[in-house]
Order: sequence, then structure tokens, then C-alpha cells
Amino acid sequence: MSSPITTWEGAAAVFTFADSPLGIAISLAAAVGVYLYLNLSIMKHERDAFDKHK
Amino acid sequence: MSVETLQSTFEMHQSMNVEVFYWWCTAIMFMIHAGFLAYEIGASRVKNALTSGMKNILTLSVIIPTFYFFGWWIYNAFPNGLIPIDASAALPWSQSMGPDIQDMGTGIFFAAFALFGATTGSILSGAVIERIRLSAFLILAAILGSAVWILAGAWGWHPSGWLLTKLGYHDVGASGVVHAVAGFFALGVLMNLGARVGKFKDGVAMYIPPHNLPMSLIGLMMIIVGFFGFLGGCIIFNGGDTGWTTIYGNPTNLSAFAFNTLMGFAGGVLGAYMTSREPFWTMSGGLGGIISVAAGLDLYYPGLAFVLAASGGALMPFIGRLVDKLGVDDAVGAVAVHAFCGFYGVVLVGVFCSGYPNVGDLPEISFSGQLLGAVIMALTGFIPGWGISFVLKKMNMLRVPPHVEALGLDLVEIPAKPYPETVPAHVVVENTLEPGQEKQLV
Repeated sequence: MSSPITTWEGAAAVFTFADSPLGIAISLAAAVGVYLYLNLSIMKHERDAFDKHK
Repeated sequence: MSVETLQSTFEMHQSMNVEVFYWWCTAIMFMIHAGFLAYEIGASRVKNALTSGMKNILTLSVIIPTFYFFGWWIYNAFPNGLIPIDASAALPWSQSMGPDIQDMGTGIFFAAFALFGATTGSILSGAVIERIRLSAFLILAAILGSAVWILAGAWGWHPSGWLLTKLGYHDVGASGVVHAVAGFFALGVLMNLGARVGKFKDGVAMYIPPHNLPMSLIGLMMIIVGFFGFLGGCIIFNGGDTGWTTIYGNPTNLSAFAFNTLMGFAGGVLGAYMTSREPFWTMSGGLGGIISVAAGLDLYYPGLAFVLAASGGALMPFIGRLVDKLGVDDAVGAVAVHAFCGFYGVVLVGVFCSGYPNVGDLPEISFSGQLLGAVIMALTGFIPGWGISFVLKKMNMLRVPPHVEALGLDLVEIPAKPYPETVPAHVVVENTLEPGQEKQLV
């Protein structure tokens, strides 16, 4: 389903969803989401940890 | 075998060699980060050791994806200044930005540049230890490592960058685009972050000793090892019959880099030792020496490179003391090592290499071009560093609260201890003495 190729002959971009803009968009959005969530989770961890040790 | 087949096989192997070369440069560059990890953990007090290490590990892990999201595109889109050109192949949804069996260049160059970017984040990381919020640091590191330095790189470290095409700017080993930019960015952040509690008493800088200086020294040596990957990644391995060139297109080779990297290291160490006698500065001198000559690695006579590196290494401790006198707490001397030596290295090329031609009809190397380029690098780093950290400070997001700084960041934030079985040294000594023997030591 995610393969953009049916044969290796003449293939170029072979990564998952290479022929599916929607697949790339979802994957990329998820990657950005993980990155943003990391930042938010660190902020939350800091806030909780700082409060706990007041 | 036909001539066409031989030609095709030769070209395939040449492309594979290019990939292999940059693959290993990238791998060796990871040693820079292993080095910064040890360096910063050692430079911290015990109560902050793991937080410093955690910050370093996460630096890599935020800069690599953000460099993929937008950093590589910035490099390709902004050689002319602040107006982007078409660089759609470098956008993260492009067919080039993933496994492509016809493309043996994009991924490997992306990787090398991502690691250059991660180096800038690590340069910032050391300066701000023991009081910056991890969240704020990671925002700043991503901006520095995936936007700021690479914008400077597009201007001054790109075959079509405007600093090259207008000024003849020459900075092959990234003295300016990596070290000066990151060092001045760090200076801007430090001005808003403020000093560690206890660093200054009545305006006089106090010495806050690292908890493990030997670890810091080993870390610095590991950074030097990583520099061979970094500087190897600065040279262009061309296909065809062109051979090695600099990023500006002029011919060079790894032999040129080898002469002057080694002489730069040696000169920097000796220079720093002569003016400091202190192990931290002496070992940092190796780094400062290489940075002082990196911009002209392809051109200097090795004897000259040695002298120039020695001068950079010798001046570095004085710059560190000047930074202290200005009330800025730079915990690892990043401003002296990277901002000063990076700036100095770019200007030195103007002093000693003026008149060297660039390729084609590009302007030749000149003192004014190098000086202006160095100032642009400094401002490109300092302005966003100061500005963004100022905003974070106003939002109370930059620095940990005073009670956390007093307790130590490890106790508050990290669910682990760096040395859980450690007993204070005086207890160990007392336990090994015969009764009454301790009095003889007093």
C-alpha cells in the first residue's frame, strides 16, 4: 500500500508514500507533531518538577 | 566489457566513493557531540551533571529533525540574501528528500550539514549550563542549528552565496559560518540569561570549579577527533576529473587541510598554555587554534598557520577574562573559543590571503571583504540570539527559578543520580587511616 514502485527497473524515489502526497503529508505532519509534543512535554515536566520542589 | 560499460561502472564507483567519504565524515562528527557531552558534564557541578548531559543529547535530537523540516531548504533557498530562490527539491516533501536510488548526493550532504548544525547547538549548550531551562535551550538550539547558522552558510558557505559573489568571502573551514555565528549567538543568550548564582561577588568573577576536569579534558580531545570529520565535510569531493575543491570551487585537497589542521591544533595548544598555564584553557587552545586557521586551511603555509593558531590560542584566555569582567558568565569559554577565534580566523584570511583569486569572475579575497564578512557573521549570530532569548526572558521561560538553581537541576528534573555510590572524598580518606593518624594530616 505504501510502496511507490512495482518493479526496481527504472525506479527513483522508493521511499514509502513517494507517489502519495497525502501519505507524505500525514507522515510529515506526524513528525512535526512529535517534535512539537516533545517541547510541550518538557515544558510541562519542568513546571511540575519546579512546583514539586518549591 | 565495452567502453560504455566501463565508463558507467567507473562513474558508479566514483559516486559511491563520494557517499562513503561523507558518510564517515558524518560518523566522525558524532565524536564532536560525544566530546561536548563529556566536556559539559565535567564542567558542571555534581548537582547539575546529568542535566547538562541530557541537554547535550537532546540537542542532536531536535536539530536533526528541524534541519530536515526547514534547515536544508534555508541553505538552498537563501544564497542571495533574505529573498528566497526556488529550492523546492530541498523541501521535506520533495522526492529528493528520502531514499532515491538515482540520487547519491542529497542525503549524504543533508546529513553532513545537519551535523554542522548540531555542532552550533552544542557550542551554545556549554555556555548556558546550570541555569537555563531545558525547554528554552531546545528552542534556541533548534533556531540556531536549523535556521540561523545555515542562513549564514547560504550567504558565505555556498558556491552562489552573496558574500562570495559580492565580497570574495573565504571561510573554507567554517570559522565564521559555524563558530563565530554560534559563539555570538551564545553571547546574546548569555546577556539575557544572567550569571549563575555565586559567579560574581561585588562585580568580581568567582571561579566555579568543574566537578570533573579530567572528563572535560577528555571531552575536548574527543571534539578535536570529531573535527577531522567536520573539516573533511567542508571539502567537496567532486565526480568527474575535477577532484577536490573547496565549497567555493577552487581546487584544494585533503593534504592541504591535514597540514594546517594539525599545525593549528598544535599552535593553539601551545599559545593557550603560554598565557594561561591552565589545563582547561590549554586543551581549549587546540580547538581555538584550529578555528583560528580554519577559514584559510587551504591556503596557509603551515608555519604561518602554526603562528596564527598560537596567537589565537594565546589571546583566548584574555578574551575569557574580558568576558568575565563584562559580567557575562560563560561557563565553558564558548565566546572566547568560538566567537572570538571564529571572527579572528575570518579576519586573518583577509590579512594574509588578500589577492588570492576566486574562480571565474568572482571577486578576489580581500581584507575589507573578510572584515565585513566577519562582522556580518557576528551580527547574524548575535541579533537572533539576543532577541529570541530576550523574548523568552520576558515570558519567564528562559531561566530556572532560584530555588531550583540552588537545589541543583538534577535533583529537580532528572530521575537518576550521576554517582549514586559515591562517598565524599574526605570520608574515604578517614576510613583508610589508623586511629589518630588523621591528626597528622591536619
